[in-house]
Order: sequence, then structure tokens, then C-alpha cells
Amino acid sequence: MNAAAEIQGEALYAERMSKAFGGLKVFHDVSFTLPPGGLLGVIGPNGAGKTTMINIISGRLAPSSGQVRLGDTRIDGRPVYDNAGRGLVRSFQQTATFSGYTVSDNLRSALRFARRDLSVLERLAPLLDQFGLVENWNRHAEVLPYGLQKMLGLTMALATQPRILLLDEPAAGLEKSERSNIDAYIGFAQREFGCGVLLVEHDMELIRRLCPDVIVLDGGRLIATGSPGEVLNRKDVIDAYLGGGEEDDDAEH
Amino acid sequence: MTTATATVSGYLKQKAPFFSGHEWITLGIVLLAFAIPTLTANPQFLSQANLILIAATAALGVYIMLRLDLMSFAVPSFMAIGGYTVAVLSLRLGVTDVIVLGLAAFLVPALCAIPLGWLILRLKGVYFVLVTFVLTEIVQLLLFEAAPLTGGSNGLVGMPAVRFFGIELWDNSHVLLTTTGLAFAGFLITAIFTRRFRYEFAAIEKNDVLAESLGLACWKYKAMAFAVAAGVSGLAGFALVNMLMTAHPTSFAPMSSVNYITYTIVGGKGSILGTLVGAILLVSATDYFALRGELSPGLFGLLIIVVTLLARGGVIGTVTTLVRSWRGKGMRPLADGAARKAPKGGA
Amino acid sequence: MEGFIATGLIGISLGSQYTLLALGFTLIFGILGVVNFAHGGFYVMGGYVAYYCTAMLGLPYPVALVIAVGSTAALGWLFEVLILERVIEDHQATLMVTMGFYLVMATAILVIFGAESPEFSFPLSGVWRAGGIYFPYANMVVLGVCLAAIALVYWLVYRTNVGRAMRAMAEDRAVAGALGMRTKVLFPLAFALATGLAGLTGALVTPILALAPHVGDPVLAFSFLTVILGGLGSVTGATVAAFIVGLVEAYAAVYLGGSKGALTLFVLVLIILVIRPQGLLGKEVRRA
Repeated sequence: MNAAAEIQGEALYAERMSKAFGGLKVFHDVSFTLPPGGLLGVIGPNGAGKTTMINIISGRLAPSSGQVRLGDTRIDGRPVYDNAGRGLVRSFQQTATFSGYTVSDNLRSALRFARRDLSVLERLAPLLDQFGLVENWNRHAEVLPYGLQKMLGLTMALATQPRILLLDEPAAGLEKSERSNIDAYIGFAQREFGCGVLLVEHDMELIRRLCPDVIVLDGGRLIATGSPGEVLNRKDVIDAYLGGGEEDDDAEH
Repeated sequence: MTTATATVSGYLKQKAPFFSGHEWITLGIVLLAFAIPTLTANPQFLSQANLILIAATAALGVYIMLRLDLMSFAVPSFMAIGGYTVAVLSLRLGVTDVIVLGLAAFLVPALCAIPLGWLILRLKGVYFVLVTFVLTEIVQLLLFEAAPLTGGSNGLVGMPAVRFFGIELWDNSHVLLTTTGLAFAGFLITAIFTRRFRYEFAAIEKNDVLAESLGLACWKYKAMAFAVAAGVSGLAGFALVNMLMTAHPTSFAPMSSVNYITYTIVGGKGSILGTLVGAILLVSATDYFALRGELSPGLFGLLIIVVTLLARGGVIGTVTTLVRSWRGKGMRPLADGAARKAPKGGA
Repeated sequence: MEGFIATGLIGISLGSQYTLLALGFTLIFGILGVVNFAHGGFYVMGGYVAYYCTAMLGLPYPVALVIAVGSTAALGWLFEVLILERVIEDHQATLMVTMGFYLVMATAILVIFGAESPEFSFPLSGVWRAGGIYFPYANMVVLGVCLAAIALVYWLVYRTNVGRAMRAMAEDRAVAGALGMRTKVLFPLAFALATGLAGLTGALVTPILALAPHVGDPVLAFSFLTVILGGLGSVTGATVAAFIVGLVEAYAAVYLGGSKGALTLFVLVLIILVIRPQGLLGKEVRRA
């Protein structure tokens, strides 16, 4: 908890966020608070609006109503790069790296765009080593195995030293054996950088392991809040999962 | 300090050179053109060298925008703005100093490009292509319509020779020196600009959504690139007007934008050397085969299709790939990369 | 007043021509995601095929029209299948091959028919008059055929299964593909339809305006203007914008003179870009 204390962040507030595409409401009145340095899990069946939520908070989509605040600053509808500059950085569900660039250049790019010093990478070294990125330092991102590409993308987000990380299904596509990397990643982000983490995830084991609190989305509504143990046993949550749509999340991108 | 930290620190000390080999070779070739007048006085050869250098400098406008994955047809527009700026300054205001004129030929188009860029760079890439295409048509019309300033269909004729620190540059070899100077300035600006922001440009080209999410304000870089591309095109416009001693709308025909695109694509859009090599090869080919002017578009069209279908990297890209494969795969991590599963490192 | 109405009629007839061109252009973009730089080439080709059929082969003009449509559609189909299909996923590459193909087409026409404008006039002369309003019969026929063709396109796009499939492709290619839409069949078909429309326009209009190897350039620029104005990929937007472009051009030519019409249009387009970057009837862009 040493570094967390020195980087005293601000809380992220979502207040009655709604979003409609054309006439179609995909998101109703969702509110929650992510305290500084905290960890909040977001779960829900496919099509519940989880990625839409990340798109709204990061600034890629403007909410139809409601607001998002970082501390006292209102940030909804602000350009994504502005919000990233404020310390609100997202990761992507699919692998997101710059192809044709080496691991080294990918990380350097992230630091450059966030105006951070190269020495951040030295702090990240144990993590980079654990993921196997150090030994692949000079290989091109697109030739790496899927799991490594994903960890590279996540590490790039972390290298910007965000105050709040929005993680969109970081474990998706990873093999079971690789999922402990996510535990290490989130632990490191909280411990070393004092990041607040909003974790959207399908892997319930991971959620149970890591998150003290979760919110549950279904059909664009917030249907439950609480600890994973209590929420995941609620009947309406179980029903939402059993009756959840087959279509993949997010028609909008 | 753990071993991992030490390894990373070691890696961080590796620095990529600012200019790659391609930039050095390109700038060297352009500089060599200064020597041509001492080697030959053949007017045919001098004019050919002039045409190549102007074509290459103009094509840099395409090269710069391609760094950002944007196809620009606007080169003739900005060439016209640069060229007419020079013509108006020298004919109406008596400015003949080549450095002042060069600055004006760069800055006026660049300044025009800023509001225009703000307008069209918010749009998707496809709109950018369409708008730049329409822009060249419109500038062409404007040149005819704004007769009081541009001389309309007569153009602006009888420009005085430019001066370099008071020395009049008037004969054929002097004109080539002026062109070479302008071309070198254009290539140097382009090389510095594209290398200085290579991470930003590459990121925008490959994945602009990711770049923005990491904090990069993409539109700023696009607007900047559009302005610099306009300025460099303006230098080419200056060189062209200086060679012809006339500013005329037909020098900036809308379809000539296709030629500049062809030089860049056929030469190889991945490297600044490609633009130069493309211009050298294609301008010479047009001349060597004594193709009548009207046939060269067909040849260019065919080459574009062939390059796009068969050799995406163009001449330079293909040669580079061949050279690398001759050197053996030991040096290329790419070759055996995909198959090998990376082993896990211990914490 | 009569002059005003007569000019309006010319504008509407121009608008109907631009609609045919813009519909083809916007269909190709909407369905294939391709900006077809060769569109003007198919227009010129339609003109020359019709000219060849009537002047060289002595065929009646209506037959020449059919042959012009058939040949441009066939070439469009071949181009899509043999060349465009190979690079369809790379938007930069599609741009390059259509542009390259346009250059090849224009040069081929130049080599075959020469640079001079051939003697090619509309088989129908004379002017219809009512009071002070006059309207050439040729324009009337062109207007009629264009309107019929526009109606046909609308029927095809909105009332048939093929049209529904095409619109689904335009909405979301990935989803449509996943639903089993046969892009291998639909893409060439849509492309051939669009180039056939361009060929038809060329065969109809070049005898009135002008026929020369390079007349495709301004056609391309006007198609671009129209789709920027209307919103890329929007069928109704293209139609509305094409009539606006036609009317502005006609009135500007009469009341402002010279090339002011094109300049007026450009200003109009700039204003639209500032207020509504997605065009008059375009949808909000999903991916930034």
C-alpha cells in the first residue's frame, strides 16, 4: 500500500447514465461509484450493455442523459484522449496493439502518447517479465501468441499510469493457465500505481477472487449491487444469466 | 534491482537512429542533383532532372498523408496556391529573393490548409478522399474565375528570374539549382517531420482508436500533417512556376494528382525513398518510351493495379523484402515468429 | 418567369442524370464499402458504345442504349470479380484499383476512338413550347428514361429480396455475412447494376452534352459532390442531393454565368460539412 498512499486519486462517479441509439434504449439510469484505488466488478449476460458502459465512461460515446464525473470534473462527452490525459484509460476486449511494431515500440508509443517517462517501464519490469514480454522485447506484436498480445495491450494501458483503469473483459480469450496473469496485473496496478479499477468480466471465478464489490447489468439496467458471494446467489441475477441473449455485446461498434 | 529490471533498463538504452538509411540515401540523391549542371549542359537532360525533382517533391504531399492512412488528391491545389503566391509576389510586388519566395510558397498553402483540415479531418477517411478530389476541381475553377489576381485563362506570365543573395538565377542550369534547392528543402522537411512524429503517425495509421485511448489527440497530428503536406506541395508549385516562368491553371490540372499518387504508390509508400524512386522511374519512363502524353495515364493505371494486387510495397518495399530474404532468415525475427509459442517467464 | 420555369426544367433534367450517377456510386459504397473512382469511366464508355452502335453499326438508338447498359454492366461485373474482389477488405487498395482502372479505361477509349469528340447527337431534335416555356424533346426523353430508371432502382432496392439483402449488407456487413448473405454473388451484382446505371447515363447524356475521352473527370467530381452533400451510402440522400445539385447548376449557369455554379455548389458543400458532417441524410458515423 506504499505507492497507493502517495497517488491519492479521485473517485469515479456514474450518475444516472442512459444511452439510446436511434429509438433503441440500450442503457437506463445506471449509477455507481468507484472509490479511489478501489476495484469494482461489472458482470451481466451478453448484450447487457457492458462495453457500451465503458465506451460512455471513456468518452467514445456521449450518454443520452446523465453524467460521468471524475472527482469534481464532469467528463462525459469529452474526447477520449482528454479523458486519458486525466488518467482514465481503458483496455479493449479484442487484442489492441500497433501491428508492425515490436513490443518495445508498442510500449514506447503508449508512454509517448501519455507523456510519461521511459522509466515507468523499469517499474513495470517484474510484470513484463512475468507475462513473458521481456523475452519477446524485439518481436513484432502481431506475431505473438494471442495471450501475449492481450497482455501487451493491457500493459500499454497500465504504462500510461492511469488513475482509473477500465478493463473490458481482460480475461476473454485467455487460456485458463494464463488467467492468473490478470490477477497479477490488477494487483500490481492497485498496489504499485494506486489505480482504481473497473473490471468488466465474464469469468466468475476471477470476479469472485478479486472483486470485493460487483454491479450486475441486464438489458441495460443495473439490477444488483453487492459482494460477489451475495449477488451471484440472488434469484434475479441467476435468471438474467439463464435467460440472457445469445447475441454478442454491443451492436454499436 | 532484479534481473528483469536490469534487462529492461538495458533495452531502454537502445536508441533507434533519428533518420533511417532510407532517409539518408534519399537526401543524398537529391543533393547530388546540385552537381548535374557541372556535369552536363544538355538542356534535355536538365529539363528532365527538373521535372523529376518537381514531381518527387509534389508526391511528398501524398507520402505525408499516407503516413496517416489518408489518400490525398489535394496536391495540385496546394501546388497552385504556392505557385501563384510566388507569381503574384514577383510580378505584382517585385519580390525576387528565392528564400523569401520559398518561405511564402511553403507558408501560404500551409496556412490555407489549417481551416480546411479542421473542416474535413473530422470526417471519415473516405470523405477526406472525396473532399480533396473535389477541392482540386474547385481550385482549378477559382484560378480561372479570379482573373484580377490570377490572370484567369492567360495565367501570370513573364516572371522575373529569382535571386539568391542578389545573384540572378536565370539560365537553365540556374533553374535546376533553384529546383534542387526547393526539392531538398521539401525532402528535408518531410523527412524530419515524418521521423519526428513517427510513433504518432504509425499509431494513427494502424489503430487510431487505441492511440486515442492512450491519450493521443489524433486530429492535431492529422491537421499538422495536412498543413505540412500543403506547404511541401507549395514548394513544388514554386519550382514548377519558376521553371515555366509562368503560372497557368493547366500546370495544376486536377487529374495530375493521380500522377503524384502513382509515383508514391509504385515507388513504395512505406518509405520516403519510394517517392523519389517512383518519380525518377516513372517520369523517365514517360520520356524514354517517348509515350505521347495521353498514353501515360494508361501505363500509370496499369502499374497501380499491378502494384496493388501483386507487390503492395512498391519498388522499394519489394527490393527491401528481397534483400532481407537474401541475407538469410537468421536476422529476421518475423520469419519464424508466428509458429513459436513464447515460453513463460518466471516472476 | 417563363425563363425561370424553363431553367427549372433543365435543372430537374440535370438532377435526374446526376441521380442515376450518384445512385450507382452510393450503392457501391453502401454495399461494398468501396469508393468507385472508375464511375466516370463507365459513363464515358456508355457514351462511346452508344455512339459506336448508332454511327458505326447503324443500329437504332434504343437498341444502342440497351447494348451500352449491357456492356458497361458486364465490364463492371468482370472488374469486380477479377480485380476488386481480391482487395475488397482493404479500402486503400480498392481506391487504388478503381482509380487505376479508370485511367486504363480512359486511355483505351482514347486509343480506340481518338482524342477528338465524335459527331454524336441525339436522334430527336426540336423543342417543346408552351407560352414562353421551352424544353428540348431530347431533354424530355432523357428525363423520362432517367425517372423510369430511378423508379426501377428504388423498386429493386426496397421491394425485392436482392434489394433487401443489399441493404442488409450496407447496414452491417459482418452481421449480414454471418446470416449467410452471399457476398460473392451480391457484390458483383451490385457493382454491375451501378456501372450499368453509369453506362446508361453516359449513353443518354453524352449526345446532348459532349462526348470525349476525358468527360468522365467532371462526372466523377459531380458524383462526389452529390454523395458528400447527400451523405455517403444513403440512397434517398443521393437522390435529394442530385436534384439540388442539378437545380443549383442550372440556375447558376443562367443567372450567375460561367463556372459560378460549381463554385456555388462547393460553398454549399462546405456549409453542409460544417453543420452536418455526415451529409444531409447520412447517418451518424458509427466508427470514429
